[in-house]
Amino acid sequence: MAIPTAEEKLAMIKVEAPDDDELRCVDSLGPGDYEVGFERTNNILDEAMEIFVRSSRSMMGIAGDSMVALFTAKGDLANASCGTYLHAIIQPILIKFILNSYQDNPGIKEGDIWFTNDALYGGIHNPDEVVLMPVFYQGELIAWTGAAVHTTETGASEPGGMPINATSRFMEGLNCPPTKIGENYEIREDFVETLSAFGLRAPQMLVIDLKARATSAHRSLKRIVEMADERGRDYVVGLFRKMLIVAEEGARKRISSWPDGKYTCVNFGDGVGFEVGLVRNSHMALEKKGDSITMDFSGTSPENPYSYNAHVQAAVGHVANYVYEYVFHDLPISSATFAPIDFVFPAGSCLNPDARAATSCSVMIATGIMSGVHNVFGKMMFSTNNMWRQSCASQGNAGNAMVIAGLSQWNLPFADMLAYSLNSEGQGGRPEMDGINAFGFPWCVYGRTPDIEEMENDLPLFIPLSNHWKDSCGHGKYRGGVGTVQIWVVHHVPYLFFMAISDNSKMQTPQPMFGGYAPCTVPGISITNADLMEQMKEGKGLSLELFPMLKEKSIGGDWQNEFFGRATRPVNQNDVITFGFATGGAGYGDPLEREPELVIQDIKDQIISDWSAQNVYKAQYNSETLKLDSEGTESARQEERQVRIQQAKPYNEFEQDWLGQKMDESLLKFYGTWPDAEIVAPPFRP
Amino acid sequence: MGRRIIITEYLEMDIDESQWHCSRCDKELIDAQTNYKKGCLVYSRDPREIHNPVFEAEYNFAPDPEWVRIIEFYCPECGTQIETEYLPLGHPITHDIEIDVESLKARLDNGELEITDKRLEVRT
Repeated sequence: MAIPTAEEKLAMIKVEAPDDDELRCVDSLGPGDYEVGFERTNNILDEAMEIFVRSSRSMMGIAGDSMVALFTAKGDLANASCGTYLHAIIQPILIKFILNSYQDNPGIKEGDIWFTNDALYGGIHNPDEVVLMPVFYQGELIAWTGAAVHTTETGASEPGGMPINATSRFMEGLNCPPTKIGENYEIREDFVETLSAFGLRAPQMLVIDLKARATSAHRSLKRIVEMADERGRDYVVGLFRKMLIVAEEGARKRISSWPDGKYTCVNFGDGVGFEVGLVRNSHMALEKKGDSITMDFSGTSPENPYSYNAHVQAAVGHVANYVYEYVFHDLPISSATFAPIDFVFPAGSCLNPDARAATSCSVMIATGIMSGVHNVFGKMMFSTNNMWRQSCASQGNAGNAMVIAGLSQWNLPFADMLAYSLNSEGQGGRPEMDGINAFGFPWCVYGRTPDIEEMENDLPLFIPLSNHWKDSCGHGKYRGGVGTVQIWVVHHVPYLFFMAISDNSKMQTPQPMFGGYAPCTVPGISITNADLMEQMKEGKGLSLELFPMLKEKSIGGDWQNEFFGRATRPVNQNDVITFGFATGGAGYGDPLEREPELVIQDIKDQIISDWSAQNVYKAQYNSETLKLDSEGTESARQEERQVRIQQAKPYNEFEQDWLGQKMDESLLKFYGTWPDAEIVAPPFRP
Repeated sequence: MGRRIIITEYLEMDIDESQWHCSRCDKELIDAQTNYKKGCLVYSRDPREIHNPVFEAEYNFAPDPEWVRIIEFYCPECGTQIETEYLPLGHPITHDIEIDVESLKARLDNGELEITDKRLEVRT
């Protein structure tokens, strides 16, 4: 079979039709069998997930950026535990590719271990590696199990698995199509060596993570075979198909309860690779009719010459994160919940690029999808009694991924992504409350933020500052949760290498909700020849409060101020590698409607500054005692509403003036035609 | 007044009269088939007025006003900020909510949906 096309991959996301035998098995389920069986699969998966996290070596694996899953014999996802929902979309495609391609040679047999990390064949991006195992019972294929986790090294042109300088897939290191890497429940040593060689920067991490995947997939497999032993083969087959049926029925019923219509959101990025420039990373038009949805991404910017592109299934995966978290949170994590949803991704866009395109930073270009999906679903569901509370503003979704590499204080080669800044972003504001501060990783809601001690023990780092990042929230009636800030200093080793994969330095990707504001932008700040360690040794009371430190440059040395995304560079011992920022969530509602008492509490909690309290929320209070002036606040807010009315224009008058403005042309080279983002010319590929 | 449905935090739709209304002051904004933003007052805000440029540098915590403006949509009567959108200079304004009003009206009329506390529910 050739490389699957975008259309074939989108088709493989859909659930396969049940055959007569499956329907017979469903009919044979007795009262309570489904409920008990579904819960049993949850327990099986939770056990496997626990094993997975405890067995992984990479920071992302330890944080839980992973998924273990159960599939029907035909490859459809029946249930999963995570981690990240991204992998819910991709694994059915990979299994179906194996089923379609390799029945005869090399054959699909009991005890097989299959591996892939290739987005061209159905993955997210090549750091996301997947192990799949067929489940045979009495010689018959009855199911599959899978385990997927992000391992932060692929042998690419830069360390960390997400090279920003890659201009084609040929610079991304290991891209392994679905391949049988083991037989008789044993991984082949020649493949372990291959993986180790690609992971020369951190071989122990790649090998241990591979074995963690196989161990976890095998544990689920063992439990499914035990289930078949106890309840019979028909029970397993019927239960898995029934989970698909229940999930699809539940999804369609919920969708049909919302008003028909079209809901649109546009989102932007401010850079690709290591270049600054505008991209419309998502132009999302969701059309809902009856019990079906079509999500059309026409108008999204063209593919770019860097790795900020996503193959179609990776793009769908970023819809899945939100859909499984907020919309279908009470249904099985199943392929069937996506049965009612169709997708349109124009060929040649950054969400459906050429086969040779680099896509290792697919998760970065897909931040637009991650953000926009909150707005379109939120606006569709807010009128309904069953779902309005789920209409939450976008999470931070910056995904500030920072990589360090080199030789650790334990004399081990390493190349790892610092999970802290990923796993401590703020949640978006909600219809009845603020977003959670430092809630987690938008890509992996169950992920864990590592302890500082754990980071310092594992990697050559000293972390003198770790705090909530004041004012990083999007303001609003209900503000977004704030993110975090850390300072990372090279410690115990003469030098290491650093790179940052991010954007949001010139403008933010998330759009706010219902009159709120977006989170703030993210500067790239580092200090070479830093005297921080000397000052700490002298013990003269160096203040590590963020804003005064930045204003006064209280750490001596050469300060750099850059775009947050930065290409690989060496950093010397005792220098400040970077300020590690995790962004806040977007705001919900008009800030002038925020309870003034909550504004004062946020000042006391160091969540917002006096500047924001006074300029954004128009709060009046005694700045010494923080005693609220309720009447003064109401008066200031009423005055601000009048100012708004006086300075604003009617729509048509405003639009006439607004559409005449344009950004500097040099900043639009990745955008496409203005303003429709059509393809200008295909990018050069080696 | 006809049957009212809450569509956003600050917008209600009168299904029978096919009109957008501000939910804070009840101001009639525009026909429900039209982009509600066209019934609002609109303002382009320098993002540095909302996001504090804490320190002097090219990259601080404020979006670059040469790139982006915060487009604010207000109720012309009470000044409530109904919606905001962060747009690059000159980028077209998004028509974000296009409810199929006729379909909704038909589903309410045929009893498939009902309105409770100004929100939609499937009739059981």
